[in-house]
Amino acid sequence: MVLRRFALAVGLAAVLPRWPEAAEQLRGAIVRGRVELPRVQVTSERRPVSAELGEGSERDAGEWRRAVVYFETAPKGAFEDREAGRARMDQRNESFVPHLLAITVGTTVDFPNNDRTYHNVFSLSKGQRFDLGRYGVGHSKSVRFDHPGVVRVFCDIHSHMNAFILVFNHRFFNITDPDGSYEIDGVPPGSYTLVAWIEGAVRDTKSVTVGADQRVVEADFPLK
Amino acid sequence: MSRLLLGLFLYALLADSAFAQGWPDSTTSFAGGRVTLGGEFTATVSPEDEGKFNYTDYERSALQLIRLGVTINVRPVEGIAFITELRAEGATDGGPWNGIPVAAYLRVRPWRKHAFDIQAGRIPPVFGVGGRHLYSSDNVLIGYPLAWQYLTVMRPDAVPGNADELIYARSYGWQPSYSVGSDHYAKGVPLATAFRYDTGVEARVGEETRLLSMAAAFTAGTVSSPGARSSNGGPQFSTRVAVRPTTGLILGGSYANGTFIANTVQATLPAGAARGRYAQQTFGADAEYSKGYWLFRSELVSARWTLPVLGAPPIDNPLWATGLSAEGRYRLMPGVTLGARFDRLWFSDQTGTYITLPWDAPVSRIEAGVAWSVMRHVILRATVQHNTRTRGEVTSATVPAAQVTLWF
Repeated sequence: MVLRRFALAVGLAAVLPRWPEAAEQLRGAIVRGRVELPRVQVTSERRPVSAELGEGSERDAGEWRRAVVYFETAPKGAFEDREAGRARMDQRNESFVPHLLAITVGTTVDFPNNDRTYHNVFSLSKGQRFDLGRYGVGHSKSVRFDHPGVVRVFCDIHSHMNAFILVFNHRFFNITDPDGSYEIDGVPPGSYTLVAWIEGAVRDTKSVTVGADQRVVEADFPLK
Repeated sequence: MSRLLLGLFLYALLADSAFAQGWPDSTTSFAGGRVTLGGEFTATVSPEDEGKFNYTDYERSALQLIRLGVTINVRPVEGIAFITELRAEGATDGGPWNGIPVAAYLRVRPWRKHAFDIQAGRIPPVFGVGGRHLYSSDNVLIGYPLAWQYLTVMRPDAVPGNADELIYARSYGWQPSYSVGSDHYAKGVPLATAFRYDTGVEARVGEETRLLSMAAAFTAGTVSSPGARSSNGGPQFSTRVAVRPTTGLILGGSYANGTFIANTVQATLPAGAARGRYAQQTFGADAEYSKGYWLFRSELVSARWTLPVLGAPPIDNPLWATGLSAEGRYRLMPGVTLGARFDRLWFSDQTGTYITLPWDAPVSRIEAGVAWSVMRHVILRATVQHNTRTRGEVTSATVPAAQVTLWF
C-alpha cells in the first residue's frame, strides 16, 4: 500500500503546481500538527527460546513509537530538490536506534554496532535488499538507499531487532516528536494529500490546501 | 496436542495487529510483554533413508518430519519466568503424531543486576551446544550432527550378555536387541540427544555477552537418555564452561557423568554385578567463529560407557564413542546461505570370540545445502548428504532433502 502511494507521488508530480524559485521556497508555508499516537514503546521483547541456559542481558526501555507524516503528492520540481546526505541507525541494547528513519533517495545510512555482541543487519525488502554480515562493537557499515519505499531492517542474530526506513524521493516528510507533533516547512501553495504512517501502515490521510499567502497550515490526525 | 499447538500457532499470528500487513516482525507478546510467544513449523521431505542414517530418538527419520512447536514465556514478576515449549511431530509419510512437552521449567534470576540464573524442571541440556541449536532458524543444513542424532547400539534398558552379542548388533542402532534387560527390539541412543530435554536443576553464572560463563546441572537421566523421572541409579552431573576471548569466537568445554543403566536392568544382574555403577561419562569440546558472511562451527563429543561384565567373552573395558563435526556456512547474498558439514563417528575396539572390531560400525557423513529466506519468516532449504558406514545392510547412502520452515 505504501509503496503504491510512493509511486503515485512520482506519477502525479507532473500535474501539480510548478515548484517555485529557490527564494520562494524559503517563504513557503509550514504544514504542522499533531498525530495522536498510541503510547507504545517500540522495543520488542526477545523471542522466547527454550534452549537458553538463563536470562539474556538486561535491556533498557526503548523509545516511544512515532509516526511519519508525508505528502502523498509533491510539487513538481520537488524531486530535483532533495538533499541526499548521511543518516545513522545505531545497534544498541539489542535494538535499532532510532527505530524509525525517514530519508530521501540517495542518502547513505551508517549502521554502527554499539553492543558487545555481533549484529548482522539485513533487509529483504524488494526495493533494497542488503546484508551487512556480522561485525562487532566499534565497527560500522553503511548502505546507500537508491529507491523510494519502505525498507524493513532486521538483525539476523537477534530476531527481535527490527526497524523501518522510509525512503522518499522528495523532501516533504517528517518524523513526529514523541508527543506526535510534526512540522513540514517550505510548502508551496497548492492542494496536497497528507499521510500519517505508523509502524508499517498508513493510519490516516488528510487533504490540505496551502493558500498563496498562508504561512501556517494546521493538520491534526486524531486517534482513530 | 497437535490441534492445541496449531490453534496457538494461528492465534499468535492473528492476534498480532501487524499480521494485517504480513507476518509480525516483532515478537508476539501480551500483557505488556509479560507473555511472549514464539513458534516454528517445519516440513521436511526426502526419499526413504534405507540405511536409517537419519533415524532419531523418536525412531523417525529427521529428513521425513513435520514439526509444529510453540514456545511460551510467562514472566509474572521481574526475575521469574516460566518457559514452556510444546511440540507436535509426525512423519511426512503418515502415521501417528507425537505431542511432546519439550521444555517446561521455572527460571529465577535472584539478583536483577547479577548474571546468575537458576532453572528447574524439564530443562535444556547444559552439555555441549548441539542440543541447544534451534532446529531451523539456527541451522542451514537439515540433518543433525551424528553425535547428537545417530542411534548407536547402546541401550539403557537392555545390555549385551557378552561381547559377541554386542558385536553382532553393530550398525543396527534403530533396533538392537540383547539378552539382559528388556527383550523387546528398541532403538539405541545417540552419544547425546538433540531431541529431548532432561529433568532437573541447573544454574548458570555469566551471560552470552560475557568473557566467561559457566553452567552446571543435576538431572534425572543422561545426555544420551534424558527423562522425566529417574529410571536409573542416580542423578547425572553435567557442566559446561564457555569462553569468549573476542567477539565472534566461542570456545566451550563440557563434561557429564551419570548412571546409564536402567534400574530394571540393574535388578536383573547377578549378585556380583548388581552392585556396580554403570555410567556414561561424556566429554565435549566446541568452537564457533564467525565474521562477516562466514561462520564456522565444530564440536567434539566423546562418550564412555561402562557396562556390567557378564558372560564370556567379557566386555571388561569401557566402550568409547567419539563424534566430531565441522561445519561452515557462507551468506552468498541477502537471504541465501550456503552450508556444509563433515561428520565422523568412531567407536573403540571390542574383542569377541573370533574377532576384534569397533563395538559399533563407524559412520561418516558429508552434507551440503542451501537455505533461502523467501520472506523473513519463510525459509526453504535443500540439502544433500552422503553417508557411509563400515557395516550394515546399507553401507552407503546419498539422501537429498528439502524443507520449508515458517517461524514467528
